[in-house]
Amino acid sequence: MAELTPEEFLDNIMIPEKSSDHICWNCTGLKPVLKGSKFPPADIIGWCKKIHWPHYWCVADFNVVKKCYAFEAKKK
Amino acid sequence: MAKDPRVTRIEDLPGPKSQGEMDEMKMPYEEYCKNLFDVGNEHTKPEALKGIKWLSCTMYIFTPHSVANLAELGAKVVKIEMPRMGDAMRHTSPFNECYLYPLHDTRPMTGTGLGFTNANPNKYFLTMDYHIPEMVEVFYGLVKKFDGLTELYRPGTLDKWKMSYRYLSEINPRFIYVWGGGFGYGPKIFGGSYDILGQAHAGLASVTGMHEYMGGHCTKQTNWVIDWQSGNIITCSILAAIHHRRKTGLGTMIEFSQVQVPTRMLGHTLPMYGKFGIVRQRWGNWDTQLCAHGIILCGKSDFPDADNPQDKFDARYVMVSAFQDADFKELCAITGMNDLYEKYKSHDKRVEGEAQVEIYGALEKWAEDKSRSEVAKILQDAGILAEPVRNDREVYESEHFRERGTVRWLDDPLFGDMLVHCGYSCGLMEKTPRRINWHWRPVGADNKKVYQDWLGVPQSTIQEWYDKAWI
Amino acid sequence: MCDIIWCKKEVDGKDCDTINYLDPYYFWNWEGTIACAECGTVYYIYMINGFMYKGPDERPGEKPDILPLYADKPYDGYSNYRPGVEGRTRPYQCMPRSWLTGTADMVKFSVRGRPVRGWRPQPPSAGLAGQFPYNWDIQKLTPEVWEEYQQKLSKGEVKDW
Ligand code: SF4
Ligand SMILES: [Zn+2]
Repeated sequence: MAELTPEEFLDNIMIPEKSSDHICWNCTGLKPVLKGSKFPPADIIGWCKKIHWPHYWCVADFNVVKKCYAFEAKKK
Repeated sequence: MAKDPRVTRIEDLPGPKSQGEMDEMKMPYEEYCKNLFDVGNEHTKPEALKGIKWLSCTMYIFTPHSVANLAELGAKVVKIEMPRMGDAMRHTSPFNECYLYPLHDTRPMTGTGLGFTNANPNKYFLTMDYHIPEMVEVFYGLVKKFDGLTELYRPGTLDKWKMSYRYLSEINPRFIYVWGGGFGYGPKIFGGSYDILGQAHAGLASVTGMHEYMGGHCTKQTNWVIDWQSGNIITCSILAAIHHRRKTGLGTMIEFSQVQVPTRMLGHTLPMYGKFGIVRQRWGNWDTQLCAHGIILCGKSDFPDADNPQDKFDARYVMVSAFQDADFKELCAITGMNDLYEKYKSHDKRVEGEAQVEIYGALEKWAEDKSRSEVAKILQDAGILAEPVRNDREVYESEHFRERGTVRWLDDPLFGDMLVHCGYSCGLMEKTPRRINWHWRPVGADNKKVYQDWLGVPQSTIQEWYDKAWI
Repeated sequence: MCDIIWCKKEVDGKDCDTINYLDPYYFWNWEGTIACAECGTVYYIYMINGFMYKGPDERPGEKPDILPLYADKPYDGYSNYRPGVEGRTRPYQCMPRSWLTGTADMVKFSVRGRPVRGWRPQPPSAGLAGQFPYNWDIQKLTPEVWEEYQQKLSKGEVKDW
């Protein structure tokens, strides 16, 4: 098995709680809600670290982000 | 006003009315302020709250501080403590050091720790186990003579003892009753509180410290800011209640949940979430609204040979503020960051997170071979706002604080030479300044004064209560 | 949660068996080399979000970037190295004072050399129910401190600030 990059490693240890159609999942900006989290409220998939950096924007799960000016694809 | 509106009288005109006033107005502002506030002679002036009498069944910092403000302003505040034990804060902090002796007659080997400071000046110290049936009437006797009470028990405790507002207002309808504690009524009514809990529960600790990106974790403020600040806000409510009573003749109840206070201190944090769903993040020693406006680390300590790590390692931080375009230009010129000036000419560009990382990084690089005072001097000479980050010792040595009387020595009647600030760090008042009369006193030091002189209890009874440890 | 390096290096025919603690506040996201507090073996680690991404790998001959803060030996009755053991653990610089001893400091004089009632025992109160109606008359109540104070005065050790 090829060695994991730090980003891939992080993806492996931070298991997200949700899955959805947001393009955020493929973006370096997303910090997902982790599996088993009691906080925060149930209706977000995670936080966008990018567009309001250094603040975080709550990415709602009912408002699917399909297109985003700040999208930056994760390296595959 | 002159009767005839066509007549001009000097009294009706703005400006000085006499030669003396004229001279006063011509005084340079500096001199004028020095005369007006006359720092160091506070005791020759009247006290704003003289005549107000307050009871305090409080512990630690938060609620004691709410009435310490009254005591510094001249109210007569009686702190009722547990017989022979006193406020837990006397025994709390700082651990094993800085005690002032004695604590109480029966405990000559125990002292009161300096953690008791600032929350208890000028108070009278009474002991009473007021929850035992034998002392209830005595407690009511105090309530009849006093204007108000501050307590911090679990919600409903004093109600159970028939000492809550609904009972006390029957005895004294002018009585102002303050409960101060953790959560107050609501889902967490039985939750106790500490400052750290307030900082955590209301989100303050989550925006203090370095950003996650910088490897930071949420951080509590070292000092008990929420306790001190909650105390101040209660004092505001008390003063408002006193004013209201002056108009209506009626007392009132104040219920104060400490964990609310940090939300007030958090400014735009919550509204920003409400409007945009943005969760504010901590940003270390920088500022998310202004840049450059932060604290940078210099390469060399001002005291490299000092014994104390606070001096040896920490005397390296400087606060810098140059967020206006002209100032930022000057900062860039003097530090050789002209390319950064070109890049971040407008404030909305340089306030962005990435820009800040670059700007402060470059600043710290520039300061790498300089000491803290060198950096501060270079920037100050260039007309940029910069100050070394001071520690306690340096605050003590600061001319600014000395001249304004913020930090001063008090010859305490019982404990001797004490360095104080508390009341003198709350702004100056011309006519009725705050003052510190005594730092604090031992447990029960004023028992005779209160029981005999104010309540008329005979000495033999006081002695009997004392022997039974009721007081 | 705290990751560890359990050093199994063989020293003189015996396993080192020392647990070097990687305090999360420091090592949460960290890459570099760290030495075992007991045997000095240098390990390379790379931690991401508190997880060990790479290592610990031995790096013989390299200079360590850092020392652990604390280490102990479970098979040796938990004998341990507390913070600040020269060459083994790194110093802990957060102590409020360099000379903090943990026992009460008996202070007779303030930093500017005037008497302060910071020692025990003190004379008891002068009356009913623990009251303290008088001022602290140091000359009367503690003549020896008064004497010391006079000497300080004459030696010019009493200052205004
Ligand atoms: S930058 Fe855009 S795509 Fe990326 S996480 Fe943020 S909102 Fe989603
Ligand atoms: Zn080892």
